[in-house]
Amino acid sequence: MKSILSFIVLSSMSGFVFTQDLTGLEVIRKVYERPVGDEMTASLTMTIENSRGNQRVREIKQYIKDFGDVEKKIMFFLSPADVKNTSFMNWSYDEPNKNDDQWIYLPALKKVKRISSDSKSDYFMGSDFTYDDLGDRHPDEDSHKIIREEVIDGLETYVVESIPKDEDYMYSRTVTWVVKDSWVGLKKEFYDEDGELLKILTVDEQKTFGEVIVLTNVKMNNVQNNQFTIMQLENVEINKGVPENIFTERIMKRGMK
Amino acid sequence: MLKLLEKLLKHPVLVMLVFIAMTAIFVLKMKGNTRMETDLDKYMPQDHPAFIYSDQAEEWFDIKDGIIIAVENPDGIYNPGTLTKIKQLTKDLQKTEEIEKKDVTSLYTADNIVGTDDGMDVKAFYKRIPRSKEKLAELEEKVRTNEMVFGRLVSENEKVSVIIARINDDVFTQEFYSRILELGKSYEGPEKVYVAGRPIVEGTMAELGPADMKRMVPIVVGVIILILLILLRSMKNMILTMTVVLFSTIWTFGLLAFVDIPIYAVFTTIPVMLIAIGVADGIHLFSHLDLYLVTNPKAGKLEATHNMLKEMWKPVVMTSVTTAVGFISLLTSEVYPIKYFGIFTAFGVMAAMLFSLVLIPAGIMLFGLPKVRNIKVQSGDNIHADTFAHRFAKSLIKYKWFSLGVTAVIIAVSIYGTTKVWINSSFLDKFEKDSEIVLTDAFINENFGGTSTLNLILESRNKDAFKDPEILTLVDEMQSEVESIDVVGSSFGLTDYLKRMNKVMHADDETYNTIPGSPDLIAQYMLLYEMSGDPENLWQVTDFDYSKLNVTFQLKSDDSKSINQALDRIETYQQNFSDRNVEMNFAGSGYKALVFTDLILKGQITSLLMSLVIVVVLLSFMFKSITAGLIGTVPILITAAISFGVMGLLGIPLSTTTALMSSISIGIGIDYAVHFIDRYRENMHLSKNMELSIQQTMHHSGRAIVFNAAVVIAGFLVLLFSVFPPNRELGFLVSLNMFTSFLGTVTVMVIIIEQKKLFYKRIKSKTINN
Repeated sequence: MKSILSFIVLSSMSGFVFTQDLTGLEVIRKVYERPVGDEMTASLTMTIENSRGNQRVREIKQYIKDFGDVEKKIMFFLSPADVKNTSFMNWSYDEPNKNDDQWIYLPALKKVKRISSDSKSDYFMGSDFTYDDLGDRHPDEDSHKIIREEVIDGLETYVVESIPKDEDYMYSRTVTWVVKDSWVGLKKEFYDEDGELLKILTVDEQKTFGEVIVLTNVKMNNVQNNQFTIMQLENVEINKGVPENIFTERIMKRGMK
Repeated sequence: MLKLLEKLLKHPVLVMLVFIAMTAIFVLKMKGNTRMETDLDKYMPQDHPAFIYSDQAEEWFDIKDGIIIAVENPDGIYNPGTLTKIKQLTKDLQKTEEIEKKDVTSLYTADNIVGTDDGMDVKAFYKRIPRSKEKLAELEEKVRTNEMVFGRLVSENEKVSVIIARINDDVFTQEFYSRILELGKSYEGPEKVYVAGRPIVEGTMAELGPADMKRMVPIVVGVIILILLILLRSMKNMILTMTVVLFSTIWTFGLLAFVDIPIYAVFTTIPVMLIAIGVADGIHLFSHLDLYLVTNPKAGKLEATHNMLKEMWKPVVMTSVTTAVGFISLLTSEVYPIKYFGIFTAFGVMAAMLFSLVLIPAGIMLFGLPKVRNIKVQSGDNIHADTFAHRFAKSLIKYKWFSLGVTAVIIAVSIYGTTKVWINSSFLDKFEKDSEIVLTDAFINENFGGTSTLNLILESRNKDAFKDPEILTLVDEMQSEVESIDVVGSSFGLTDYLKRMNKVMHADDETYNTIPGSPDLIAQYMLLYEMSGDPENLWQVTDFDYSKLNVTFQLKSDDSKSINQALDRIETYQQNFSDRNVEMNFAGSGYKALVFTDLILKGQITSLLMSLVIVVVLLSFMFKSITAGLIGTVPILITAAISFGVMGLLGIPLSTTTALMSSISIGIGIDYAVHFIDRYRENMHLSKNMELSIQQTMHHSGRAIVFNAAVVIAGFLVLLFSVFPPNRELGFLVSLNMFTSFLGTVTVMVIIIEQKKLFYKRIKSKTINN
C-alpha cells in the first residue's frame, strides 16, 4: 500500500523511476510465484513449423512433482515412431547456481545416460523456447519497469520491461503483458542483443484447476527466421497425485503404465 | 547523310554548344545516379536452373560464405593471452552489426560434446580464461580429443586457431571490409592475425581492381595524348580526338545513369574500348586531312573539312556500325551485365562516330586548320613515309608467299596453343603469387581443411531417407574418398554429427566412431543432439524430414581445376545414390562461380561466331562483294587465333575479363580492314591499277592504321605496370590484339586482296561499259 501511495505522489513529481522499478519487479515476482500446483500430469503436443511450412510434431507424456527444494520431471516420447519410448528426466534445484540434473533413455541403445550441460539458454528440444522462456528465470536476474498499462483481449495488463543485469545474456530486453489479479503473462516480446524484436510469445488458451491456472496453448513465434512452436497441453491433471518413486532410471526404461 | 553533315558544318558554334550542353546534362545525371554493383550474385542470371537450385539450397541450409580470421602464436595457442584474444575477437565479431551472433564460430563458442562413464557432457571449451598450468593442459586435451574441433578450429600443430564469421552476401561493403581488416590488425602482437575467406577475396578484388584502374587510367590517357601529339603534330587535333573519346564515355555512362543501371565491374572496360575506337576515328580523319593539305596546300578550312567528310564519312560509319554490331551480338549472352556491356558499348561506339563526324569538323571550323608550319615539316616527312609505304607494299607483294608461309606457321602454333587454353573461375588466381591475400590463403590451407567450399546437396523423395544407415554409410564412404584427393582438405555433414554422438554415447570409445546401425538409434541420437547441442547447426546439414542433406567440402584452392576434380570424384557415386532414389546437386558460391564462368564462355563463343557472320554479311553488303566481306574478316580471324594461342602458350586462363577481350579484338580488328578496303576501292576507282591502288592505300590508310595501332598499343602497354594481374592481362591482350590486327591487315589481307584481284573485275567491267 505504501509503495502504491508513494508511486502516486512521486509520479506527479516526475522523479518516480526508483519506485516504478520496484513495482515492475513486484509484478514479475507475482508472475514467478503464481501457484502452478505441486503435481502435474499432462500430454504435451509440440508442433514446430519452419518458414517453408514444414512441420514436426512430437507427442510427449509428462509427469512433474515439486519436492520443495527440487522439482522433478519425467517425459516419455509417444511419437514420432522412431523415438517412441525415449524418455527424459530433469531435476531442477531451487538452490541458485546449481545446474539441473538430466538423464535420457534411448530405447535403441537400451541405456540410460546422464547428460550434463552448462548452458541455460539452450533451446528446449529444438523448439523456439529456451529453458528460461519456459519460466525458469528468476526475477532478480533482470531490472524491471512498468512502462504502461494496456487492455488486451478485454483484460487489463501491466506492460513490464525487463532488462537483464548480465550484459552477455541472449536477450537485450523483454516486454511482458501481465494480467492484473491473475498474474498471467499473456504476451511477451523478446529482443535480441542488437535490440531487434526476435520472438513473440502468446497464450492462446488457459484453463483453471482450482486456484491453479495452466497455460494450455502457448505459441512462440520467431519473427526473424519465421519459425514458430506451439505447445498444447491436454489431459491436464493438477494435484491429483504423482507417485514420488517414479523419478528413477528404472521407470525411464520401463515407462508408465 | 553527307548533305546533313555539310549543313551542320555551317553552324559549328551551335553544334558545339548543343553537344557541350548535352554532355553537361549527362555529367549531372551521372553525379546524381551512378552506383557500383558489388554483389557478385547480381551478375548471375537468376533464372538459370543451376543458380535457382543453388539459391534454394543456400536458403534451405543457411549456406553462407565465411570470413576466416586465424590467430597464430608460434609458441602455441594454449596460454591466457592468446585465449583472451580469441574470446575477445569472437565477441567483437558477434557485436558487429553485419554479423549475426550465431554465425560466429570459434573455440570460444564451440560446444564440446564428450562421453563420460555414465553419460554425456555438453560444455564450452572455456568461458573464463584458464590460467593455471593444469587448466590449460586440460583444455589442450579436450581439443585434441574432439575431431569436430581439432584440425577444424585449432590447427594440428596447435599454433593456430581460427574464428569463422559467416555473412550474408548483401552485407558486404568496402567499409565493412576495411573494418574487419582493421579489427584483425588491432589484435596483432605477439600473435599474428590473418584474415581470409571468399568474402575477403571478393572484397579485396572489388577494391584493388578499380583502385588500380583509377591509378593507371590517367597514365594510359597521358601516354595516348603524348603519342597522339607526336603523330598528329597538332595540339588542336589531339584535343579534338580526345574530346571524342571523353564525350562518348560520358554519354555512355550518363545513359547508364538515366536508365538506372548500376556500374558492373566489366563496365570498367567500356572506356578502354571507347579510347581505342574514338582515337581510331580521329586519327583516320586527321590523317586524311593532313594528306589532303599536302597535295592542296592552298585549300581553306571549309574546303579541306568538306573534302575530309566527303572522303571519310563512309569508312567512319562502316567501321562504327560493324564494331557496334559486334558488341550487340553480346545480347545472346545469358549474363545480364554482359548484355548491358554489349548494348552500352555499342551506344558509345555510335556516339563516338557522331562526334567524329560532327564535333571534329565543327572544331576545325571554329579553331582553324592545324598550323601550316607543322604541315610543312610534316610534308618533308611524308615524302619519306610515302616512299616507305610504297616500298613496303611493293616488297609485300613480291615476297607474298614468304609472308603467307610465316603466317601459316604462326597460325598453326596458335591453334596448338588454343588447345592448351583453360578456363578459370578462381578469384584468388587474380592476385600476385606473393601478395598478402594469396599468402594468407596458403597459410590457412596449410593448417586447416581449406578456404574454399563446395556444397553437395543430396535429396530423396522419401521422408527419413537420411536416417537410413545404409545410405548414410554410403555418404560417409564418399566423404572419405573425396577427402583423399589432395585439394580436398575436409568434409562435414550429418554423418559427422552421428559418428560423434555414437562415440560419445559409448563412453568415447573410438570403435564406435561409425554410423549407428539402426534408423531408430539415429533418430534418437538426433533428438538427443537437439536437446543438448545447438539444433540450429543440425539444420545446416539436413532438413526437418531428413529427406535432404548438405555435405560441405573444404577445398584448398578455388580454381576450376580443383573444383572439377572434386566434382568428378563425387559424381562417381551418382549411380550408387540414384539406385537408392537419392538425387545429387551442387550449391555454394564456388560452384556458382564455376557455372557462371562456363556460361560466360559459352555465350562468348556464340556471340563471337554470330558477330563474325554478321560482319561478313555487313561488309559484303557495304562493298557489294561477298569476297570483300570474307577478306575483311581475315585480320580478325588471325587476331582471334593468335590471341587464344598466346593465352594457351603463356598459361593465361580464360576468365570473364579475358573472354570479353575476344569481342573487343573483333570490334577493333574489323576497323582496320574496313578502312583499308574502302580506301583501296576508292583508289581502284580512280587509278584502275591494282598495284598502284594497293601502294596508295598503304600510304593513306596504312599510315593511319599504324598511327592508330601505335597510339593504342603504347597506351595499353602502360597497364603492364599495373599491380593487379587481371589489369596487366587486359593491357597485354589489348596491345597484342591491336598489333596482330594491324599486322594482319597490312600484310596477309593485302596479299589476299592482290591474289583475289578484289574489285579488279568490277572496275574493269565498269571501264569497258564506260
